[in-house]
Amino acid sequence: MTPRPRVLVVDDEPDYLRIAARIAGKAGCSVVTAPAALPGLKLAEEDPPDLILLDVGLPDISGFEAARRLRKVPALAKVPIIFFTVRSELDMVSEGLKLGAAGYVLKPFDPDELSRRIKAAVRPA
Amino acid sequence: MKKPAAACVGSPALAAFLAEALHGFRLKTYPSAAAFLKSPAGERLAVIEASLPDMSGRDLTAVLRGDKATAGLLLVLTGPGPYSPAAAALSLENGADEYFSFPPEPALFRARVQNLLARAAAGAPPPAKPSEYSYGALTVSPEARSAAVGGVKVRLTALEFDLLLYFLRNPGRVVARTVLLEQVWKLGTEAGTRAVDKRIEALRSKLGRFGSKIRTVFGLGYIFKL
Repeated sequence: MTPRPRVLVVDDEPDYLRIAARIAGKAGCSVVTAPAALPGLKLAEEDPPDLILLDVGLPDISGFEAARRLRKVPALAKVPIIFFTVRSELDMVSEGLKLGAAGYVLKPFDPDELSRRIKAAVRPA
Repeated sequence: MKKPAAACVGSPALAAFLAEALHGFRLKTYPSAAAFLKSPAGERLAVIEASLPDMSGRDLTAVLRGDKATAGLLLVLTGPGPYSPAAAALSLENGADEYFSFPPEPALFRARVQNLLARAAAGAPPPAKPSEYSYGALTVSPEARSAAVGGVKVRLTALEFDLLLYFLRNPGRVVARTVLLEQVWKLGTEAGTRAVDKRIEALRSKLGRFGSKIRTVFGLGYIFKL
């Protein structure tokens, strides 16, 4: 049996952290969580996950900045990132996608949509 | 000269259909939301697939509608068949001008797109937020700040009304209680999520059988189901 894909969820909003963790769990993933970007980066470096679900507005550094730093770590450069955020301004969405995000999901969100995106990202066709 | 149009579609079958159905247009195909946002080419019309590799068509529609430069784009959303009225309603709620399930009947598709363009050319303003929401027997007027079920006015407090409106504007999406505190109460999270639960309970009971459309999700948030 192949091990369950690991998803790292980074969100400072406890409700969203729990909802996202629940949905990723139901999608067959094991989940680790971090309430801010820097602890998230540390977790990712210690044990590279198969997917990172990343909020943008975080208390320490932005999710975009976190993504830039992740890309500079060789072991993490290819880990897919899905931004999961309330930031719906066109400039922000463009910037997120330019960073090579595998997905951009707006909050409030459709749970089926988030589940589909997580499954697609951890099991690339 | 042919008018420019964008096809923001990942599926080859849909791209092929559009190339044929929109042969009167100079069609540019973008395989993802990222590609479209990177280099829009001044199109008036964009056909967007419901599920793109990097974003949902609904989210992309909401993003395009929210920006001054792209708010006036004519947006046609296309979802997988068979036709789903709920998917169509959600797409229009998010700002789409038209919705089709794939594959549509080509002649009907072309005629509707032409109508859209003709109305836009005649100077019809881009769609604003709806002036009234109507779901079955429930009608809500944001302007008059009134809600009615089966024509009978429902007495809501200002907060309950804002809460209802927030749900109507975000149908089918999970909303965390802390976000309701920020967006509806305009408070930080320190007011406590208990207050949200109590207010939702009150709103549900006032809405009668429509109250059950506001569902609790995992005990962590709420979702308004069409």
